[in-house]
Amino acid sequence: MLRYLLGRIIATIPVVVLISLLVFLLIHAAPGDPADLLLSEEASPADIADARRRWGLDQPIYIQYLHFLTNIAAGDLGMSFRYADPVIGLIGQRLPATIELAIASLLIAIIIGVPLGVWAGAKPNSWADNLGSVFGFFGISMPSFWLGIMLILIISGYFNWLPSSGRSTYGVAQGLETGFYISHSLLSGNIKVAWDGIKYIIMPAIALGTGMMGLVMRVTRSSVLEIMSEDYVRTARAKGLDESTVLWRHVLRNALVPVITVVGLELGTLLSGSIIVETVFAWPGSGSLLISAIQSRDYPLITGTVLTYTIAFVAINFVIDILYALIDPRIRFGK
Amino acid sequence: MLGPARNAEAGGQVAIGVTETIASYNPYADSISMGYAIWCQVYGCIGVYDHNKGDYVGMLAERWEVDKADNNIWTFHLKRGVKRQNDGKEFTAEDLVHSINRINNDPQSKQKQNVSPIKDVIALDNYTVKIVTKQPTASLLEFIFDRVIISAKDLYDKHGARDADRKYPWGWGPYKLKDLVIGQRIVLEKDTSHPNVRPENPDTLIYTIMREPEQRVTALLNNEIQIAQFIPPHLAERVKAASNVELQPASSVEIMFLAMSPKFKPWDNVKLRQAVCYAIDRDLIVKNVLKSQADRLDGPIGPGQYGYDPEYTKKNLIIAYDPAKARELVKASGYNNEPVFLDTPVGRYINDKEVTEAMVPMLNAVGINAKLRTPEWATLWSDVQRGRTPFYYMGRGSVVDPSVALSQYFETGGSPRIGISDPQIDKALAAERVTFDPVERKKALNVAFKAIEDAAPGCFMWRHHMLYGESKGIAHKPNPAGRIFGTEITVK
Repeated sequence: MLRYLLGRIIATIPVVVLISLLVFLLIHAAPGDPADLLLSEEASPADIADARRRWGLDQPIYIQYLHFLTNIAAGDLGMSFRYADPVIGLIGQRLPATIELAIASLLIAIIIGVPLGVWAGAKPNSWADNLGSVFGFFGISMPSFWLGIMLILIISGYFNWLPSSGRSTYGVAQGLETGFYISHSLLSGNIKVAWDGIKYIIMPAIALGTGMMGLVMRVTRSSVLEIMSEDYVRTARAKGLDESTVLWRHVLRNALVPVITVVGLELGTLLSGSIIVETVFAWPGSGSLLISAIQSRDYPLITGTVLTYTIAFVAINFVIDILYALIDPRIRFGK
Repeated sequence: MLGPARNAEAGGQVAIGVTETIASYNPYADSISMGYAIWCQVYGCIGVYDHNKGDYVGMLAERWEVDKADNNIWTFHLKRGVKRQNDGKEFTAEDLVHSINRINNDPQSKQKQNVSPIKDVIALDNYTVKIVTKQPTASLLEFIFDRVIISAKDLYDKHGARDADRKYPWGWGPYKLKDLVIGQRIVLEKDTSHPNVRPENPDTLIYTIMREPEQRVTALLNNEIQIAQFIPPHLAERVKAASNVELQPASSVEIMFLAMSPKFKPWDNVKLRQAVCYAIDRDLIVKNVLKSQADRLDGPIGPGQYGYDPEYTKKNLIIAYDPAKARELVKASGYNNEPVFLDTPVGRYINDKEVTEAMVPMLNAVGINAKLRTPEWATLWSDVQRGRTPFYYMGRGSVVDPSVALSQYFETGGSPRIGISDPQIDKALAAERVTFDPVERKKALNVAFKAIEDAAPGCFMWRHHMLYGESKGIAHKPNPAGRIFGTEITVK
């Protein structure tokens, strides 16, 4: 197992390097120049040339890439052109907001999606199945940005129940705006601050998590349907176990393997989906940071953020592999 | 249990939903309108343009003059006894000199263009600064007035740039920096001892980033914010219909125009360029596409901008919609019906795509085979900056004194954006730059306006109304330059 894990870690290094090269080349090939976009419209050609020189953009691209790789080796992702701050620090400030949003969305997806899927799978073609399927298809087919705008218009605009955007209320956040706002407040027992964070996260988490909820529901349903016809389920029933024990202890545990695969893959999608949702809700996470970086062609920040996402995606898959083994002891790695 | 976050509770706190924000603690690391307004309130600046008076008024400068014998020498007399927030240190000339030098030398500076006309800056004594320009520049105040943010030399020397900006953002402005969470909000707190503040100005200003118009309008209606910047025309009715807020329009100082680069055929033909200007029915577009939320431009500028002369404009600068004349000019130009592409940004300016969609059939109707293209903004702007776009719809913001903007777009060597070289325009613009008497300068500017209209490298379209949604609990007249100052807000 340990050997397998080490092998996986080493295998990620060329993946990350290759992706960094691709991102670097793609963003440099895209039309638009950071100096044009970041200096004001009063800037003269001389001002623009000066900025390009300061940012090293007057160097040949291979020199720029080598410079970038050398910096990465030293743990430095460079300086953001726009924010004039180290990229690693900027991402570090924004990532907790994105992670917290992704976790909240994941919770919504699992807490609603799995029971709905089990319910629907256990009673195929019943009204419960039909109702669950409606929820499932709604979630899968609803674009997150549209759902987000609808939530803002209805929940905030019409009912005035929740704040329309942002992450915290000024004066309540107590300096936690760039950290794990809700989890930190909950762990430190500060319910008032945690509640402030929860109010802000509900709508973006629903917008982001609804698609995943639909998928989780559908996969759980299919998986439960399949497992229900297995011999060991019949045996469990024959032993006289009641239906709920059969369902929740014997069926669900085995049905969860494909669900976990989907959740793992979808976690990556949550990260990329957060880019849109963060923009709609002015959520100050790494997704909105990436959007602003792309709009201003902030090369170091774009590359740094995409690399962070890549590493996160690889790490998530890594964790999912380990979870397989925990859920299904028959699975062994490296053999 | 549930409920929106209300930023405004008592009268003293005003939250503003803004579309852009500063990206750094370094006051010189951004070059955006909102940034200048925020830092000017915190650190202080030389002065501001008073749109009501139509003239520059000093903030940390008392008065200023140009040497009559040598027009390159400007002398600024600074206010005495201005005490710094937090520690009471007096503002002196060395702070202004330090700030201009830092704009030029700070590796993170994105404001070098603001001090580009300056050759040298010298503190003559504690309250007098001499600025020497590279060449006579009558519009110097446009460059530096509210764009040279005056930061403290002693704090910089003692703590270095990074710590001075982050830990000691103390200045001589009316508001102190209370909190800055980049990407989320900027909070300013009133310095009650400052001579420019009144008790009815908000005690706390919160600039909250809300890029989406729906967010801003919803937050405004819910009283999460009290001012919402830039309401698009299609959401104006929603604001108008609400009982707790009102719509405040301000005629922007951003001029919208169509540019035609003579470097490219067929735009090297002046008659064809002129035909475009006659072919566009601007009033119709303003009424139907912009929902009357714009003012037609006759000439490059309009009321409230420096050099605007209603009489001269009426007599010399009006180009009325005249499709028959446009058709004649097209015919006389010898244009051979080759396709021309009109490039427009999408979502950068109010209804930009829609207005250009309306222009294309108008151009087609007079015999110009125009087609619309909608490149992504970053691509379009880079191409415009490098002179690679023959025909485009664009805005030029922050045009208080038009000298710099007109030189940039229409003077030989000003920039590659249009690339025209016209001796009449060059002569007129050079003349206004060395004319320091205000009355004579305004005349010289109008001569330049006429020269530009005759050569027609651009057709001037309109200035948008910037619509602000504002709570009825405050009184605030939006600033045409898009700056929001706490001292201009009254809490009722």
